Amino acid sequence: MDANMPARLALEGITKAFPGVLANDNVSFSVQPGKIHALLGENGAGKSTLVKMIYGIMSQDAGTIRWNGEAVRIDNPKQARRLGIGMVFQHFSLFEALSVLENIALGMDAKIPSRELEKRIRAVLETYGLKLDPHRIVSTLSVGERQRIEIVRALLLSPKLLIMDEPTSVLTPQEVDQLFGTLRQLASEGCSILYISHKLDEIKALCDSATILRGGKVVATCDPAEETSRSMAEKMIGTSLADVEKNASRQFGEPKLVVSRLSTKSEDEFGVAVADVSFSVRAGEIFGIAGVAGNGQNALLDALSGEVRGADSEAITLDGHPLGLLGTTQRRKLGLCAVPEERNGHAAVSEFTLSDNSVLTARDRKGLVGSGLINSGAARNYTGEVIAEFAVKALGPEALAGSLSGGNLQKYIMGREILQSPTVLVVSQPTWGVDAGAATAIRQALVNLAAAGSAIVVISQDLDELLTLSDRLAVINDGHLSQPLDVDGISIEEIGLLMGGVHGTSQETRIVAGDDVAVSA
Amino acid sequence: MLQYRLEKRAEPSRIMLYAAPVLAVVLAMIIGATIFAAIGYDGIAAVREIFLTPLTNSYKWQDLAIKAAPLIIIGVGLAVCYRANVWNIGAEGQYVVGGVFATGVALATYGMSGWWILPLMALAGAVGGMAYAAIPAFLRTRLGVNEILTSLMLTYASVQLVYYLVRAPWKDPMGMGFPQTRLFSEAARLPTLIPGTIVHVGVPIAIVVAIIGWFVMKRSLMGFQVRVVGAAPQAARYGGFSHTRTIWLALLISGGLAGFAGMLEVSGPFQRLVPGFPTNYGYTAIIAAFLGRLNPIGVIFASLVLAITFVGGELAQTTIGLPNAASGIFQALILFLLLAADLLVRYRVRSVSTSPRGATT
Repeated sequence: MDANMPARLALEGITKAFPGVLANDNVSFSVQPGKIHALLGENGAGKSTLVKMIYGIMSQDAGTIRWNGEAVRIDNPKQARRLGIGMVFQHFSLFEALSVLENIALGMDAKIPSRELEKRIRAVLETYGLKLDPHRIVSTLSVGERQRIEIVRALLLSPKLLIMDEPTSVLTPQEVDQLFGTLRQLASEGCSILYISHKLDEIKALCDSATILRGGKVVATCDPAEETSRSMAEKMIGTSLADVEKNASRQFGEPKLVVSRLSTKSEDEFGVAVADVSFSVRAGEIFGIAGVAGNGQNALLDALSGEVRGADSEAITLDGHPLGLLGTTQRRKLGLCAVPEERNGHAAVSEFTLSDNSVLTARDRKGLVGSGLINSGAARNYTGEVIAEFAVKALGPEALAGSLSGGNLQKYIMGREILQSPTVLVVSQPTWGVDAGAATAIRQALVNLAAAGSAIVVISQDLDELLTLSDRLAVINDGHLSQPLDVDGISIEEIGLLMGGVHGTSQETRIVAGDDVAVSA
Repeated sequence: MLQYRLEKRAEPSRIMLYAAPVLAVVLAMIIGATIFAAIGYDGIAAVREIFLTPLTNSYKWQDLAIKAAPLIIIGVGLAVCYRANVWNIGAEGQYVVGGVFATGVALATYGMSGWWILPLMALAGAVGGMAYAAIPAFLRTRLGVNEILTSLMLTYASVQLVYYLVRAPWKDPMGMGFPQTRLFSEAARLPTLIPGTIVHVGVPIAIVVAIIGWFVMKRSLMGFQVRVVGAAPQAARYGGFSHTRTIWLALLISGGLAGFAGMLEVSGPFQRLVPGFPTNYGYTAIIAAFLGRLNPIGVIFASLVLAITFVGGELAQTTIGLPNAASGIFQALILFLLLAADLLVRYRVRSVSTSPRGATT
C-alpha cells in the first residue's frame, strides 16, 4: 500500500462495551481508496457494532476513526453521509405503505422535488443496471427488491465509502454478478467499499483485503485471493469447519407431502400468487425450490403452512390426509411444520421470551398447553432442550428473542420446529443472514431430520445451499413451478440461467414500459 | 463539555417499567403544584388535599374503595384489550349501556324479590356492554373502520340514550317530573359489604376480577393469543391465532367488563338511573390501564391513585376552593408524564463529552 496516501477510512483501537459484553476490543484496520475491503465474522463477533460506529449510530468508548487521515467524530448518520459514507443495512428501514420513491425521498437529507428525484433514481438504476419501479408500494415488494431500494438510496449520494451489510443473501447468481459489477464499477470510480458477508466465495471473488473479527477482536487481516473459503471460515469461527454430511446410499420412502394443482389468490394487486403448482416429497427426501425473490415463494409458504387457507381441500395432502382447508394449528397437529423467511415478528416475536416463542408453534405437539392453560415448566424445558441441542447462544429460556443475534435466533427457530419431529417440514431461507458455522449446523440438522424419515421442502434463493441439501429441485417463476430436476448432474449455471431467464420474463410484466429487461444468456 | 444523549438499552429495563408510573405521579404533583401556585392558589396545599388527605382521613377510605372499584373492573378489561393492540376508547359508552341494561332488568322486576335479580342484572349489564362493543368490533373486522373513532363516538350516543330513557319511557311516575327512574326495589340494590358504610360487594368483586384477569393474561392460551396478536400480528397468524377473532375477543371482554361495572354502579351507589349516571369512569379507566402497565394487578394500584385524585379533588373544592377541574388536570398530567417517562424503559440517558474522542492522539 502507498504509505504516502492516507487511507480512506482508518480505525485505531476502537473499543465499545455494552453492559456485560465487550463488543469491540481494540479494533484497528484501514480501507484504502477505491478498494473493496471485507469485514468477516460470526454473528455476535462485533461487526454490526463496529459498522454502527462508523456510520454514527453509536459512539465508541475509546479509539479513533480517521477519514482521509484526519481524526473525525461521527455523531450521527447525517454527519456520516455528509462525509461521504453510505450504508446498506441488512435489516431495511422502509415504510411499508409508501412507494419506493417516497421511501427514498424520506431518507434524503436534502429536499429534492420528486420529479427531479425520480429522474436521478432512474439514472442510478440505469448506470448500475438495477431494476426497480419507483412507483411500487414497498409492502408489495420482496426482500430482494427492498434491498435494491436501500442500494439506490445509498448510491444517490455518490458515496466515497459504501458499507454493505450482507447484501447478496437474496439474489440470483446473475444478480450477484450484476451487483459485483456495480460494486467494481464504483470501486474503479474511487469509492471504497466495506463489505460484510458470510459468503466466503463471494469475498474471494470480490474483495481486495479482509479483516476477520472474532469475539470483538481482530483475529486476522488477509488477502482473500490467497486464502481458501475454508481457511477464512475457520479463522472466523476459531475451530475447524464441518461439512454437511449426507448418507450417500440414502433411500426414500412413500410420498408424504403431495401438492396437486395448488393455486392461491394474491393478497393485493402486486402480490405474486401461486398458480397450478404440483409436486410431491417422499419420506427422507429434501425437495428444493429455487427462484428469485418475489416470484411467489411467500405465497407458496403461506399456502403450505396454512397461514393462508386454500379453497381446495385435496390440493395439499399429508400421508393422504387432505390439508387444504385447515389452518396452521390443525396442520401442525397432523405433522406439518413450517418456518417462514422473516425471523423477527413472523417466525418469532422479538418482545417475547424464547419460552413463549416455543408456545407459539410447539404447544400442541410438545404438550405445552393443557386445558387452555400454558404449562410454563414444560415450555421452559422444551426451550432448554432446543437451546442445548442446537447450541443457541442465549442466556436461557427466559431470554427475549430480540436479544439474540440473527444466527442464534434462526438456530432456535429451526430447532423449535425440528425437535417437534414433523412428518413434513417446510422452510424458507433457512440460513438467510446466518454465519457459516450456524448455517452448517442448520443444514446438517435438516439433513438429519430427513434421514430420520421426514419429508422436507426448502425454499431458498441460495443456490449453493439448495445444491448441498436437495435431492430434487424445482424453480419457481411468477408463481409457476418448473418440473423437478434431480440434483445430481445439474450445474449451478444451468439453474441460474433458468432462474435468470425466468426472472426476465416475470419482470417484464411488472416493470413499467420503457425499462429494459434484457437478461441475456 | 457535557451533553446528554439517549441511548437505546439492549433490553427494556424492568426497573424503569415499574418506576415510570411512580415517577409520573410524583412529577404530576410537582407540576400541578406549580400550575396552581401560578394561578394564585396554594399549590402545596392543593397537592396535599388531593393526594394526601384522602389517605390520612379514614372516613374517606370508603369513598376511595367505591370509586376505585369500577375503575379496576373497566381498567382490567381495557388492559386486556390494549394488549391486543385494539384501542377501545369507548368504555364509557359500554359502561353506560351496561347500566341501562341492568336498569331495564331492575324496572322489569320492580316490586319482585328473589336472589336471582342481581345476577340477572349483572348478566344484562355485561351483555349490554358487549353488545355495544360489538358495534366497533363488527365495523373494524368487516369494513376496516378504525375502532378508536367508532367506540369514542358511540359514547355520546349512549349518553343521549340515558337522557331519553329517564325523560320518557322510564321516568319515575312518582318523581314529580324529575328526569330519573324509580328507586330500584330492595332485591335490585347491591348489598353493602360493611354495615354502616357505603362499601358494596362490588369492591371485593373488582379485586377478584383483577386477579382473574392477571391469571388469564399470564397463564392461559387466550391471554397468550391476545399478547401475540398485539405484539406481532404476522407471528400470530403463523402461530395459528386469528386476528379477527382476537379483535372480537378484546372488544367483547373490555365491553363486557365495562357493562358489568355499569351494573354495579347503577345498583350500588345510584340505585336508579339518573342523567348524571355517566361519570367518566370509562375514560379515567384508560389512564388506569396505562398507569397499571396494562397489567391487571397494576390496574388495582393505578385505580387507587386515580380514586385518590377524584376524592381529593372533591375535598379540595370545599377546603381550599380549587375548581372542579383540578382532579382532571392531575389525571391528565399523570397520563402525559407516564407516556413521557416510558421513554426511559427502552432508552437510557447518557452524558457524553462533546470533544472528539481521542482526537488529540
